[in-house]
Amino acid sequence: MPPDRDSVSAPILSLSDEDLMGRVAEGDERAFSELVRRYQGRVVNLVSRVLNDRECSDDLAQEVFVRVFVHRRNYRRGSKFSTWLFTIAANLAKNEIRRRVRRRNWFSLDALQEMVSDSASQLADPTEGQEVALQRQQLQRAVGQAIATVPEKYRLALVLRDIEGFAYEEIGHMLGIPGGTVRSRINRARMMLKRRLRPLLRKEETP
Amino acid sequence: MSCRQSRKLFGASWDDELTQAEREWLEAHFASCASCRTEYEEWTRTLEMMESLPRVEVAPGLAERSLAKARRQPAAADRFPAHVVRWIPITATAALLATAGAMVAQWSGIVSLGSNTRVETPVVREPSLVTEATPSDTPRPSVSRSASESTLSRADGTLAALPDSLLDQGEDVEFILDAMTLHKGRAHPASRLSPTPVRGEQAVITF
Repeated sequence: MPPDRDSVSAPILSLSDEDLMGRVAEGDERAFSELVRRYQGRVVNLVSRVLNDRECSDDLAQEVFVRVFVHRRNYRRGSKFSTWLFTIAANLAKNEIRRRVRRRNWFSLDALQEMVSDSASQLADPTEGQEVALQRQQLQRAVGQAIATVPEKYRLALVLRDIEGFAYEEIGHMLGIPGGTVRSRINRARMMLKRRLRPLLRKEETP
Repeated sequence: MSCRQSRKLFGASWDDELTQAEREWLEAHFASCASCRTEYEEWTRTLEMMESLPRVEVAPGLAERSLAKARRQPAAADRFPAHVVRWIPITATAALLATAGAMVAQWSGIVSLGSNTRVETPVVREPSLVTEATPSDTPRPSVSRSASESTLSRADGTLAALPDSLLDQGEDVEFILDAMTLHKGRAHPASRLSPTPVRGEQAVITF
């Protein structure tokens, strides 16, 4: 008689990430699926915000999880799974940014300024009938593209901290840099972002 | 407090890491400095905008697609497999034992150089042995074994301390004296090796 579905799935759901990864290391595909389910949203979001490319982010997130499975034996038991996972994600995102820079396929500052100006004028003088949701979307697109113009080494730290909410020390482990360097990179990234979004911020404040 | 100093505290203020004294200090500065206050408002607004970005939705089936792709790739080898880690100290220990064993063998080899190892007599004995051991009327003078041993005992206290069994008895060592000093039938009276004439065809010292 096959085991009851709930009795099989219950232990998997109650396991910690690290225990699940321990099972994945032994080839347990159900444990792997559970880990993907737990982290896919954060990984896709991170990659998407770092690259500002929704289409590419699914493929890259898939590659992150493929690497987790293929390199499952390199996971060190006792280390935090999320740190290991996001280290892989950050490295792949970094490689993709560099590949795009080599191919000159990135969002330029000029294009950003144009978009910010458009968004700012719409915010300052919304035309009648224009829906608030559209304004918000425009604003979010401008912010997303402003993030994409921050240099790579600052951008990754910024997204990991201010969008994904990781601790400075954890980000240091992921990027392989000291905690102090993480703080200074994030502060510089925040300043850059503020400067780029300044026209938008000032228009937004106008009644 | 200068404006520059106050701006250094923006990050800590956002992260809620300011001490009570710093917070009061910063608030007092904002009350008197509109520029820094505006700057801080823009800073916080930027971070709020970034935080308010919507989460990117995940396309369904990411786990299945990742697993399907991962299955087609071989699992990466363990970068630090446990058996390799175990072998590193074992190899080092083996090398250490081999070295120690070689040293012990070398040391004990000196002591047990018994029957099958020749003892190299280190010196050419004094030619005066010839005169001591060779009576003038003996046609083929030779030094007897007992004479040889007694000479060795006198010449080298270390060898004298060795038991007889350690000395090589299997092979004779012959020293033929300088032909210039010994002549057939009669020794040259001017020999520098022996002040007294030696008679005989050839003087042979046998050990």
